[in-house]
Amino acid sequence: MDALLASAGPLPNKRSNKGKNRSAWTRPTGPTSHQTITRADGSQIDPSLNSILPSTRLPSSFHSSNLATGSSSAPFKPDAGLGRIGDKKLRSKLARQDVGAKKAKQEREDVDEWLNKAVSGGKGGIEVDEEEGERTWRVRQKDIVDSVGVGVSGKKFDLKLEDMGTYRVDYTRNGRHLAIASSKGHIATFDWQAGKLHSEIQLRESVRDIKFLQSENFFAVAQKKYVFIYDQDGVELHKLKQHIDPIHMEYLPYHYLLTTVGHAGYLKYHDVSTGVMLTQIPSHLGSPHSMAQNPHSAIIHLGHSNGTMTLWSPNMTTPHVKLLAHRGPVNGIAVDPSEGSAGRYVATSGMDGVVKIWDGRMWGKEVRSWKVRNQITTLGYSGMGMLSVGGKSGVTIYRDLQSNTHRTPTPYLTLPLPSLTASATKFCPFDDLLCVGHERGISSLLVPGAGEPNFDSAEADVYETYSRRREREVRGVLEKIRPELITLDTDFLGHVNEGRGGETFEEREARSFRQLGRLERLRATGKADESDQGGLADDDDDDDEDKEDDTPEVRKQKEKRRMKGKGGATSRYLRKKAKKNIVDESLLAMKAKVAAQKQQEEKRRKIASGQIVQETGALARFQ
Amino acid sequence: MISRSLDDHMPSSSTAPHPLQRNLAPHLHPFQKPREYTRAMTAVKMDRMFAKPFVDALGGHQDGVYCLGKDPRRVAVVAGGGGDGEVIVHSLALRRPLLKIPNAHKGMVGGICWTSESQDGKRGMVTCGKLDGTVKIWRSEAFAPGLRDKEVFTGSEFASGSGSASTEVLDTAGAIGEGGFEFDEEEGGGLSLDSSKRDALGSKLEPTMTYTSKNGFNSIDHHRTESVFATASNTVQVWDENRSAPLSTLAFGSSMETVAAVRFNQSETSVLASVGNDRTMCLYDVRTGKAERRIVMQFKSNALSWCPTLPTVMLLASEDHNLYTFDIRNLNSPNQIYKGHVGGVMGCDWSPTGEEFVSGSYDRTIRLWNRETGKSRDVYHTKRMQRVFDVTYTPTADFVLSASDDGNVRIWKSNASKKLGPVSTKERQAMEHRQKLIERYSTEKGVRSVKERRHVPQSIHNATKLKREMIESRKVKDDRRRSHTRAGREKPKAERKKTVIVEQK
Repeated sequence: MDALLASAGPLPNKRSNKGKNRSAWTRPTGPTSHQTITRADGSQIDPSLNSILPSTRLPSSFHSSNLATGSSSAPFKPDAGLGRIGDKKLRSKLARQDVGAKKAKQEREDVDEWLNKAVSGGKGGIEVDEEEGERTWRVRQKDIVDSVGVGVSGKKFDLKLEDMGTYRVDYTRNGRHLAIASSKGHIATFDWQAGKLHSEIQLRESVRDIKFLQSENFFAVAQKKYVFIYDQDGVELHKLKQHIDPIHMEYLPYHYLLTTVGHAGYLKYHDVSTGVMLTQIPSHLGSPHSMAQNPHSAIIHLGHSNGTMTLWSPNMTTPHVKLLAHRGPVNGIAVDPSEGSAGRYVATSGMDGVVKIWDGRMWGKEVRSWKVRNQITTLGYSGMGMLSVGGKSGVTIYRDLQSNTHRTPTPYLTLPLPSLTASATKFCPFDDLLCVGHERGISSLLVPGAGEPNFDSAEADVYETYSRRREREVRGVLEKIRPELITLDTDFLGHVNEGRGGETFEEREARSFRQLGRLERLRATGKADESDQGGLADDDDDDDEDKEDDTPEVRKQKEKRRMKGKGGATSRYLRKKAKKNIVDESLLAMKAKVAAQKQQEEKRRKIASGQIVQETGALARFQ
Repeated sequence: MISRSLDDHMPSSSTAPHPLQRNLAPHLHPFQKPREYTRAMTAVKMDRMFAKPFVDALGGHQDGVYCLGKDPRRVAVVAGGGGDGEVIVHSLALRRPLLKIPNAHKGMVGGICWTSESQDGKRGMVTCGKLDGTVKIWRSEAFAPGLRDKEVFTGSEFASGSGSASTEVLDTAGAIGEGGFEFDEEEGGGLSLDSSKRDALGSKLEPTMTYTSKNGFNSIDHHRTESVFATASNTVQVWDENRSAPLSTLAFGSSMETVAAVRFNQSETSVLASVGNDRTMCLYDVRTGKAERRIVMQFKSNALSWCPTLPTVMLLASEDHNLYTFDIRNLNSPNQIYKGHVGGVMGCDWSPTGEEFVSGSYDRTIRLWNRETGKSRDVYHTKRMQRVFDVTYTPTADFVLSASDDGNVRIWKSNASKKLGPVSTKERQAMEHRQKLIERYSTEKGVRSVKERRHVPQSIHNATKLKREMIESRKVKDDRRRSHTRAGREKPKAERKKTVIVEQK
């Protein structure tokens, strides 16, 4: 019995200073195989640990400090905030997760740095000597074609299709296939790289939009009356009679939803994997002028004739966001899918000739806006964040729109289309190409540095084979995201839902302490840890702050604080400093200021309560 | 300008795989969380779809099976003791009895365990009678087919240091015992495929040793390495296999309670624990021959089990529907309370890793638990399974056995959705990935509801509901009462602190 107790080692006891039972709990004679051996120099050997180490340790070449990158020489430490968690099991589990997430992030960054960077450095694109008066927007297509290789120069082509009306274009997600549709009913899809035509149809009725569905096998066409789905050979597969008078279409690839909007202003979501109409939402804003999807949140943006832009999901009958963007119809919307933005930045253009960039985290004011001389008709974003502004007599391309926001941006490239109006511009995914549809067919133009060079074969494979496409289609349907998961905040999954809905106030109040939820109980006892709302494994965005002030409890607390005079800017500043444990001159000065204020306040209070009598008259000045 | 060479992106030959290019930058992988969540949903549904835990029922008992004794040295041999005194040694690999001993005892069999060694190639099984007050040691080649008498040796076959010959024998024995069919039928009668021959052999079998006592034995357990076993009657007695009288009689003070179960610690093998009908759990040391300490609890415990990997941790199966783990260094309160059964827990057993355990209850269900969580991981039941009286993990941790009133020993998978049979690396990786996904999203409502939902019989469902309501209302009442007394007069007491009434030394 004693041996058992001894060999198991002492229990980590809170009341370890009780020295009474010591003799009974330890055995002075020779160590058992489990016991720690103390060396002469004071260091200790744990035999059981040392017996398993050789078999469990990573080879030293795999240690992070010995890796070629060397960037991760410091071991990953779990978040310091985890120390507050009392539950040991939970704490260690979360710490493990946190370290794992940090490690993964580091590895990803290493890969990005060592494999995915452009060889020449920078972001790619045209580089000119600005000081010698060279400007990138003076570079013409001919200059580019002359200076690039034969394989690339072949990508610049024009399809001259006279008297067919204006053209609209669409690429598949891997950029391999192109679909064009003229307003007078000419439709064609082809593999533009191989120059292979899949189908060509003359519909003899007005066509307003064309969109590829999950692969190049299917495409939807917004025709005069309904939406039709055709297959690769141009065979009509479906007539979607519920979509009346469609003008714009978007396809949400991860949700298998075809979204259309018609002249009547009804936004309709149609599940193409089951063929069921999911929902139709009236926008109540008339015929929309433009439509775009956010590829990172599957939110649909609609631009209306009264200058408003609205953001929609199938889960709400009212728009998530409704903002007055322009003084005239909004005729172009594009969402930036590039690395720096990931769906946060939205560009809009209006009939008022202004282009505006919006930040999806704060819709209150545009990030930047500038006026464009020609009349704008269409906008488009490339994979690297270049914005194409298409309008009368040409397309202008901008880059680096997130920097120097107070100035009018200088164009990166201008692509003149004499006597033509660009009716649609689309950047080719994973390639440096811009496809422009106009009255005389389409033009595929070279835009160096526009496309994301490193594609991921698991998402969109530029060199997709037949068998891999089949595989992807099956997997895609298996992993089809439910439409309920479309939200403005893409990170909501896995967070704590605080509200216990479906109850009246009386019911909530009548519950005894025992029947409260865990969070409520913690709050009641003052143990709730509300300082850190976001999950630990999530990325370290700083947009968490605006989340928490909606719950009534928090609001109540804030009001309370304000009454006590704690919510001021000074004390908030002090608290922040104290949290970071930085003591500098400014902090000391601020502290002194606060102390003086307090003293004055105290004095005023005492005078008011009559504890001290304020001198008036001649002697007052000596106080 | 982007210029890609087709050679880098096409397979090098017609049979080579399609080359993949990866870019893990998050902006190329939108909807990561929803997609992963969808995958987790699919994974958890697949997990439930494949959950077919029942493997087989081993019949043959004339009466209910009330105790199980797994041979700790064999992967697939277990003995069941019936209510009519019959003992059947089952082979799990063959799914049929190795030997039936029809009248091992008069009346109910109290407990079964196995000796630590084998003599002349014969494995020894120790049984005790609940009513007739005898302990018998049975030795037969049939218990461990393949343990041959080519090498004649005595003493501990398994203990270390007994020579290389013995380990060789052990290995061949295990191997042959599993397969069973390459066994020579003429020589080793035990594996005879002819059931009538087998029955004749079993009915003729005589115990090699018999020990008698005035009182019936409720439980028996053998020392891990030495030829010593302990029995539970109204005292705890320690016996040497070679002596007819007990070596020592252990009792706490002068108490004469009926001891329900007794178990040796598996790491510190001279430590012994027992549970008694006076709601007690008592610890003994064989070397000093004394009872060390005892706790009195709210309810009596029916069974106990020592954790095989954590020497200080023990598990008690209590009559109050709960299980408790105790760290014997601190007997004031249990480490964890395991709630879920709606009948008294009749048996429990740890998995060999000490991370999980199984319990069987009077409510006709078996539950599987993780050591660290108080809620059961899974619950097994069938229409035909009656009150469960004993459960055990197999030494490979793959299966769980249950002995029930209806006279069957049932084999269940310890992981309900695990695939039996060979698994390719790819498949295993996919399964591991799915498990990880489930674990990651198990706090999310959709995944959790699928993961934790178990169909239980109507009676148990209703009983659970009723019990929950009763406990809830009692606690609410306590809460209200407390709020109407003077502040601080009555403090709420933690559930764990209520369990142990007193610790005696």
